[in-house]
Amino acid sequence: MHDAYKMFLGPVHPALEEPIFFDFKIVGEKVIATNLKPGNAHRGIEALGMKRNPIQVLYLSERICGICSVSHASTFSRAVEAAAGIEVPERADYIRTIFCELERLHSHILWAGLLAHEIGFHSVLHYGMKVREDVMDLLEYLSGNRVNYGVYVIGGVRRDIPKEKHEKIRQSIKYYNAAFEKFKDVFLNDKTIRMRTEGVGVLTKNDALKLCAVGPTARGSGLNKDTRQDWSYLAYGDIGVKAQLPSQVTGKINGDVLDRTIVRLLEIKQSAEIIERCIDQMPKGSLVSEPKAAVILSRLKNAEGEGIARTEAPRGELHHYVRLAKKEVVDTWKAKAPTYNNLMAVPVMMKDAQIADIPVIICSIDPCIACLDRVSIIEGNSGKSMNKYDLHELCLRKSEMFGKIERGHQ
Amino acid sequence: MSIIPTLLKQLVKKPFTNPFPKKHAPNKVSDVKKINDPIPVPDDFRGKIKYDRAKCIGCRMCVTVCPANAMEYLPKEKKIKHHVLRCIMCAECVDVCPVKALSSSKEFLLAETDKKSPNLIEK
Amino acid sequence: MLSEIMMIPMIAALMLLLAIIVGLFFLGLDRKIAARFQSRIGPPIVQPFRDLVKLLAKETIVPDNAIGWLFNLAPVIALASALLLILYLPFLGVAPILSGYGDLILVLYLLMLPALAIAIGGFASGNNYATVGAQRKLIMMLSYEFPLAVLVMAVVWKTSSMFPDLQGFTFSTFMQHPVLTLVGPVGGFGVVLLIVTILIALCAELIKGPFDNPEADTELAGGVLVDYSGRNLALFLLSDAVKLCAFITLVIGLLLPCSLGDMFSSFMYTGWLAIAANVVFFFVKFTVIAILGLTFVRVAFARLKINQATKFFWLVSAGISLLGLLLISLDSMM
Repeated sequence: MHDAYKMFLGPVHPALEEPIFFDFKIVGEKVIATNLKPGNAHRGIEALGMKRNPIQVLYLSERICGICSVSHASTFSRAVEAAAGIEVPERADYIRTIFCELERLHSHILWAGLLAHEIGFHSVLHYGMKVREDVMDLLEYLSGNRVNYGVYVIGGVRRDIPKEKHEKIRQSIKYYNAAFEKFKDVFLNDKTIRMRTEGVGVLTKNDALKLCAVGPTARGSGLNKDTRQDWSYLAYGDIGVKAQLPSQVTGKINGDVLDRTIVRLLEIKQSAEIIERCIDQMPKGSLVSEPKAAVILSRLKNAEGEGIARTEAPRGELHHYVRLAKKEVVDTWKAKAPTYNNLMAVPVMMKDAQIADIPVIICSIDPCIACLDRVSIIEGNSGKSMNKYDLHELCLRKSEMFGKIERGHQ
Repeated sequence: MSIIPTLLKQLVKKPFTNPFPKKHAPNKVSDVKKINDPIPVPDDFRGKIKYDRAKCIGCRMCVTVCPANAMEYLPKEKKIKHHVLRCIMCAECVDVCPVKALSSSKEFLLAETDKKSPNLIEK
Repeated sequence: MLSEIMMIPMIAALMLLLAIIVGLFFLGLDRKIAARFQSRIGPPIVQPFRDLVKLLAKETIVPDNAIGWLFNLAPVIALASALLLILYLPFLGVAPILSGYGDLILVLYLLMLPALAIAIGGFASGNNYATVGAQRKLIMMLSYEFPLAVLVMAVVWKTSSMFPDLQGFTFSTFMQHPVLTLVGPVGGFGVVLLIVTILIALCAELIKGPFDNPEADTELAGGVLVDYSGRNLALFLLSDAVKLCAFITLVIGLLLPCSLGDMFSSFMYTGWLAIAANVVFFFVKFTVIAILGLTFVRVAFARLKINQATKFFWLVSAGISLLGLLLISLDSMM
């Protein structure tokens, strides 16, 4: 038997976009055991949220993650609306849907580029970035910001999409239908990409079920599972969404990286279709249930109850839980990101993988560590967990230290 | 193989990149061959928040809704002070201001070397 | 007036300096053109020179668990062997300076030295990433040596069977009788296949593009070079530049040694103008090979896994080179 050696990947590594720690046991080039430890990107956002009123937390929730920002805002606002019993006008639902789908578009295109980057195909990465620019411009045009759009408010949306703006959206849809064909051609027909993705990181349907995989990771393994289809929300019920499975293109399901790629590429096309249907069918009406922020705030202050919302984020099913308890601030807020489920599938996918497959497999679940890290355990193997009071204490001590330094300089 | 025609096409075309806009000219202006203008932003862009002190009535609505606590209330003068460094450009304060004393500008290059620069505090 | 003995070291030193400058320039050109392929602006062409200056000014760190002397020696060996290689090759289209002291076989061995030095440096740095990278580098070396050997064999065999009285393994023989002029159309196709083989090996030798497994930034975070910094890394950058020069010169010297001077030999071969024309023509060939063999291959393909790369060299690349050899021998039978 060969000697196994240990190899660590992370928390900082070129293959990872965000900090997470992987620990591999390797023989030669072959991975025989995988362990992972998240917790490096914890920022205590939920604790911050519990010191603010729901209107403030909405913007905070967008900043949980830069790529799934609308998903978090959408889920949080629906959870609060459920807790306080606020109705949302129909037109607002359609506009929310459009933003959710635009976000899915840019997230999946970015992901396609990142996958190419992991396998050393930088030309496709740069091509993906170039193609993604159009939807970023469109989002800036519609919302006023390129990354955190801030179009949601409790009870509706802030920005309308009037008839004059439809023309530009339609142009983008046309552009992305063409881009979909191009990406499909590249990822399905390029020999070197297929050599690196086919048969790599296989997650069987049974394993996917057992490990509760969600989103494109589950659909790549053949699970017919999509929150938009199964627990319809916003305007998806009117439009009718079907989960995209890789068998639509290849006729079979292997559950490998290539299949997950195909699912995401199909969703690019699907998102473009949903946006087009949304602007075709958009009903007339008001944008918010209550235009005055002060009125909404006082209603939320007197509300009592709890709400749960689930959204199909680009990476899978996203949960938010909110409890309001007749207080100015949010009483409890908990977010559970899709990466939490999908990361559990990584050690299974790593079975029989080579070192060269490691970044490809990690990338294939589209991990979003900023969404995932809801708790942080420090002091390594001692397993001591820091709660928000400990963190607050540490923070105070650090500020004191900085204060001393500053005074020392003066 | 199918990316190759695209690559060849891109080789003869102009690069797609927008050069980074230079807001601050370097010490020796003669060294700069061309100052790149920032690319235009859409009409309802949310840039740096501008504050009109004369219009402000001190209702504290913006302080209540600001997620980043970027608004400081000055109780003596009943006015506010806006800290650009903390601002996250959500412009919620612009929406809630009853007298339109706050507005979004199109300014977005806000990096400064001095954190106490007057550009970073609106009052 | 300088004596003959003084002249040769002077010319050699100039040649080496020029090789470094040309190599760094072409590294920059490669990055710029790769950027243009990808619709980017790319770094300025002088960027490798700036990198070099920056690296020389930086602190050189030797990791605690590295074998210090070996770790510091490896970049020196890499650069020295690459520089030595230049002296045995017809750089700038003139006959090699050390042509009397060694021939093509020596060049083949010298070609392995920089690669070995990189692998040794990787093993000596005591980092798991570097160790895996060094193993990969050795495997790659074993893979691309065979097609290269077949290629050298084909060229030498053809030349020496036509001119049995000339020395078969020297570059001056190839320069006098370029292999392309010795073969018919069938053999010509064979030579083209050999050029394809050597261009594929170019990327593997320089650790670029689809064969950059030893460094593989997204897998091994720089692989063999992961622990190198400062002066040591600068030496590796220099050896990279000189290797680029040497390998492309080898391609030109073996397979495309035709020079403009030969075509006008009747009236201007001896003049300065002819030498200048030769040098310009050399650089034209150099640029074409660098862009086709390095930049284009680098941007157009994804990185292969190490087992796939080995398989590719032993099956596809070796197959192409053997086919080239077969075509050339068929050609001489006809």
